[in-house]
Amino acid sequence: MEQLQHFKSRWQRFQYVECVLYAVGFGGLVYLLTKNLGFGLVGFMVAFGIALVLNKPWKIKTESVIAFVDAHVPEAGFSSGLLTLPTDQLSNLSLLQRHRVASRLKDLMPKLMPPHHLQKAALVMFGFILIGVLGRYVLGDFSSLSSKKGNNKEQIQFAPLDSIQEGIEIPELTETKITVAYPSYTGIPSLNTSNPNIKAVEGTQITWNLTFDGEVQEVIMDRMGELIPFSKNGEQYQLSQPLQSSGFYSFTFKDLEDNAYLTDLYSLEVTPDNPPMIEITDLNQYSYFEYNDDKTIPLNTQIFDDYGVNDAFIVATVSKGSGESVKFREETLQFDGSISKGNKQQRLKKLLDLSQLKMDPGDELYFYVEAQDNKTPTPNIARSETYFAVIRDTVTDEFAVEGNLGVDLMPDYFRSQRQLIIDTEKLIQEQPDISEYDFKFRSNELGFDQKSLRLKYGQFMGDETELQDAPGQVSAVEEETHTDEDGEEKDILDGYSHKHDSENEHNLVVEHPEKDEEEEEDPLHEYLHNHSDPEESTLFEKSLKAQLRDALNIMWDAELYLRLYQPEKSLPYQYQALEIIQEIKNSARIYVHRIGFDPPPIKEETRLTGDIENIKNVDKNESFEYEMTFAATRKMVARLETLINGNSQFTKSDNTLVLEAGNELAQKAVSEPVKYLKVLQGLRDLEKTTNRTKEMYVQVQKNILSVLPKVESNPGKGARSLDEINLLYLKELGDYE
Amino acid sequence: MSDGFMLLNHNLFWPLLIGCLVLLGFFVWKEWHQKGQSRFWIKIAVACIGLTSLFLLILKPATPKDTTTGKAIVLTEGYRAEQLDSLKKVFKRIKSEEYVSGKSLSIIEDVDSLFLLGHGVPLYDFWQLEGKSVQFLGGEAISGWTQIHHTDELELGEELKVQAQYQNPQKEYWAVLKDNGGNPLDSVQFEEGEEQLVQFTVQPKASGHFVYQLEEKNAEGALVSSEPIPFIVEDREPLHILILNTFPTFESKYLKNYLAEKGHQVLVRSQLTKNKYKFEYFNRDTQPIYQLSKQALEAFDLLVFDVESYQNLGRSASTVLKESMAENGLGVFIQPSGNLFTLSKNQLPIGFDADFNTDISLGNPPQSLQKYPFAFQQEFPLQPIKMDSTTIAAYLPQGKGKMGTSLLQNTYQLVLDGKPDSYAAIWTEILDALVPQFEKSASWEMVTDIPRVDEPANFWVHSSTNPLEVEIEASSKLPLLQDVPIPSRWKGVQYPRKKGWNQLQIPADSTSQFSYFVFGKNERTTVSQQNVYEQNQRYFGQGKSSNAQVSATSKKMEPISPLWFFVPFLLSMGWLWLEPKL
Repeated sequence: MEQLQHFKSRWQRFQYVECVLYAVGFGGLVYLLTKNLGFGLVGFMVAFGIALVLNKPWKIKTESVIAFVDAHVPEAGFSSGLLTLPTDQLSNLSLLQRHRVASRLKDLMPKLMPPHHLQKAALVMFGFILIGVLGRYVLGDFSSLSSKKGNNKEQIQFAPLDSIQEGIEIPELTETKITVAYPSYTGIPSLNTSNPNIKAVEGTQITWNLTFDGEVQEVIMDRMGELIPFSKNGEQYQLSQPLQSSGFYSFTFKDLEDNAYLTDLYSLEVTPDNPPMIEITDLNQYSYFEYNDDKTIPLNTQIFDDYGVNDAFIVATVSKGSGESVKFREETLQFDGSISKGNKQQRLKKLLDLSQLKMDPGDELYFYVEAQDNKTPTPNIARSETYFAVIRDTVTDEFAVEGNLGVDLMPDYFRSQRQLIIDTEKLIQEQPDISEYDFKFRSNELGFDQKSLRLKYGQFMGDETELQDAPGQVSAVEEETHTDEDGEEKDILDGYSHKHDSENEHNLVVEHPEKDEEEEEDPLHEYLHNHSDPEESTLFEKSLKAQLRDALNIMWDAELYLRLYQPEKSLPYQYQALEIIQEIKNSARIYVHRIGFDPPPIKEETRLTGDIENIKNVDKNESFEYEMTFAATRKMVARLETLINGNSQFTKSDNTLVLEAGNELAQKAVSEPVKYLKVLQGLRDLEKTTNRTKEMYVQVQKNILSVLPKVESNPGKGARSLDEINLLYLKELGDYE
Repeated sequence: MSDGFMLLNHNLFWPLLIGCLVLLGFFVWKEWHQKGQSRFWIKIAVACIGLTSLFLLILKPATPKDTTTGKAIVLTEGYRAEQLDSLKKVFKRIKSEEYVSGKSLSIIEDVDSLFLLGHGVPLYDFWQLEGKSVQFLGGEAISGWTQIHHTDELELGEELKVQAQYQNPQKEYWAVLKDNGGNPLDSVQFEEGEEQLVQFTVQPKASGHFVYQLEEKNAEGALVSSEPIPFIVEDREPLHILILNTFPTFESKYLKNYLAEKGHQVLVRSQLTKNKYKFEYFNRDTQPIYQLSKQALEAFDLLVFDVESYQNLGRSASTVLKESMAENGLGVFIQPSGNLFTLSKNQLPIGFDADFNTDISLGNPPQSLQKYPFAFQQEFPLQPIKMDSTTIAAYLPQGKGKMGTSLLQNTYQLVLDGKPDSYAAIWTEILDALVPQFEKSASWEMVTDIPRVDEPANFWVHSSTNPLEVEIEASSKLPLLQDVPIPSRWKGVQYPRKKGWNQLQIPADSTSQFSYFVFGKNERTTVSQQNVYEQNQRYFGQGKSSNAQVSATSKKMEPISPLWFFVPFLLSMGWLWLEPKL
């Protein structure tokens, strides 16, 4: 009986093991395919249950054991059933048989294997697991592909800002549609995506369409602190924004209960539309031509642009002449053949013919290629380097200008009156020794000088004069070098003498083109605003004008007597004129003096007494708000370290710290959004209660540390401790001295 | 018996001898009738042999022998199996035991001479080997980090210096220093050789308790090992500075602007005329100072003089200044000018030598700066202040305080040149050296190099509080032992319970918290092996054979095997029994 029971329980155990093998196989398969232990366990349970129901190991009855034993053990003599029956119900023969069978079975039973399918079950199990492993490889490759895709197709996810009460239905974002409409000129078709991290060309129009399942109060876009509400368009919320600068954005929405929900931070990255690139091949920066050369330049250029070239042309500047007289002429030349607008790459040619540009020997040509791309509204313009072409001149003429042209003119004029006097006196003195003709000629000459001088001063007065071109002549005279003052005076006087006329003729002979230009420029221009209008002459004050007028009148008399060959009569007038002119000069000096320093009056009674009683100390008080750069962020690092070590919990004050750190970093982030995105995102995530995990802290801290700049140098006071030994040592150091 | 032979039961000698003689007498008497026959004599001889054997069997004669019972081998981490084998060959049946930290050695009780194999026994278990003759034989060569030294406490803005030595480096492996976030900061590639020294200098970016990692990576970049570098960064406090000038200079102007902008409290007094001053107060209350008094100076950390105001100090002001420096730790900086170098040693105890150099090059990229054509006389108490290993200033300790000056001229030129960072770096270097530090009420010192969980960590506390109490994380008190020669010094032992930062504090003083880092089981293993090895070597001496005396005592008396006596006894008795039957 006992043996049979043992056998039965063994049989059952085998059955159970079989079930377990099947279940493990199936569970393993599920686990391997889903990579989820929970699913694996469920699969195991289910398979185990099914196997149990099918096998029903608990239903193995003693009868079937007996039948099995009878069938497989000949020694049992088909009487093993006797063992189950109570002894008192058996006849003696039966008892004997029972005893016999029992004694035989005693040895045989432990060796008897119950019917089982363990091998099969094991094979099935390994088969399942093998399929699982294979499936995992296949799926793994596939899912890694799809997960890569999935990264691109990141979805907008909202998370509640605060923990919300149970039972509130959270409105769910069911559809996100982001339309990235590239500027039409780029030729890129607009893109529909759900990836909120957008990278596009400047000027792209981005439209967000959000559809919510459930009632939503409002949806707002937070773009670097700027809050832009969505407009409601039927079921959808829509917002359209042009992409102008890089930055971040996030969305918030409020449900009807005023619970706020927040998304992660997403980046907006602007890729600039680069200006065209111009490449000029096989051309030297400088080309020189002789006058008899073939003066052509083959210009081959290649222009690239990221979205298409719109226009390209050559800007050529021809310069004629040299020095002050240089003249420029700018021309825009089109390339041979038309430009295929919108092509990203253009290959253009032009044969520049210098003679067509009306260039003569000595002329120079500067040219560059300018290209525009098709960016709207303002195209990007790029220009190549400037190239030079020169036709060598056969002759070169030197042109020199004296350094102090025109500056010292006025005093010279004044001085000439004195010179006139000197000359007149000399003439009177020499009168007995020279011929009468000579005398008269010189007197007349002096008269002319006197007249020129008068006219000169008349110009100051704004008088019409016969010698309109006097200033130009003066400048021509000034070109000559003057060694000493007298010489200089002579030169000026010469300028007004007859000689001057011939010199003027000489000037005409040389006929410098620049001379024409220069003559238009009046060296006195700076001193005189408008010579022709006496009312506008502002050089002298009213009294001075009167004085000058007097001087001019006197000069008339002086000239008169000179012309009458009576220099001695003219002399007093000349002196008079000189005196007045002298006065005018001095008045000018006083005028200069007036704009100088005006010292405060000195109190003579306190001067040099050494009394400083009334002098007070000067006090100056200033305060500076100093804060270390990224102070809050640095604090955040330390705070995170304690949070990571699990020594404390996230508190309210931490929230403000997170906010401050975020603000500090956001300022930096504008310039490099991609670098800072992770950091800012991390900090924002900490605002959500669900994200306050150790892993998150570690991540945020790592990101912060990677962008934090160095601590700036600043002296400070730290802590240290001095114990008795150190003190004694320091004291000994002092005694050593 | 004397020459190395003795009886173990020698107190039984006489009774036994008598008994044997009596027995022999009985035998002789019994066989007397055969007297005259040769059998008789044979029997007597055999009986003698038998009795002697019995006699010796009981007395247990012993001979001195090189025994192994007095010796044992203690195996510690890193022992060499071949060494053990060869020891076992020499000393047969020598016992050996592996040392496990926290368990006392059991074989030690009945031995007095030990072979110590491996890297050795940690310092705190030396007591177990006390009084034994120990032969320290060493073990396998240690490969890995054998030394890691680093700054454990620094102020924000200072640099963390890490110096480490790697024994038997693998070529093309890397040492990488990572910050607490795991961002790599610096790295060094190993070269071939017996040991590799690596040195890192980085500036921590925030204050707090941090653990950087010194990682070892193989050529492929996979992590081989990682050692924590724990340190504490403290915040700094702004300074209180008084600048006294006889006339305004650009140097002072820029210095005060720089300091004021950095949030320090600055008071500038420039003399206008006799007894008339211009006071400038930055970030502080408007409290003028006319006379230097000890009380007034107490509020300041640093006093900046120009040479003239320093020279014009009255006798009392000089005394006050000296006292303030010595007792309160006031720092004094004298702005150099031409006059400075003409001061006598009485006026300024810093000596100069002319070096005729008017230029100095600092920084990277090197930047030329004007300097006075002098150099400091390097006398003992004078401490140079260096930047890029160039002396730019020097100070003289004056009690707790310091007095210093620099050689630089017109440093404000740096600001004008648009290099305010270099300017800041120079003045930070100089002023940091001069300003006093806070005095903490207690100072702590961890004596144990590498504290570990459940291992004793010895520390010293210096505190004027008496009696002193120390708490472990505000819970239980720790007993302390007061030092005899220095009564303010206390010794304590703590068995840390957790890895990472642990705290000790004086309950009466909340500011005096002491944080120390407890290393995990797998951290700093090679360093502590090296330490233990060195300690053992120092303590036991390597390779020194145990001395002669120890060898003598280790010659144990071994009883001669009783079989030698029993067999003759049996044979002789057997003969005596058999003989009559023949």
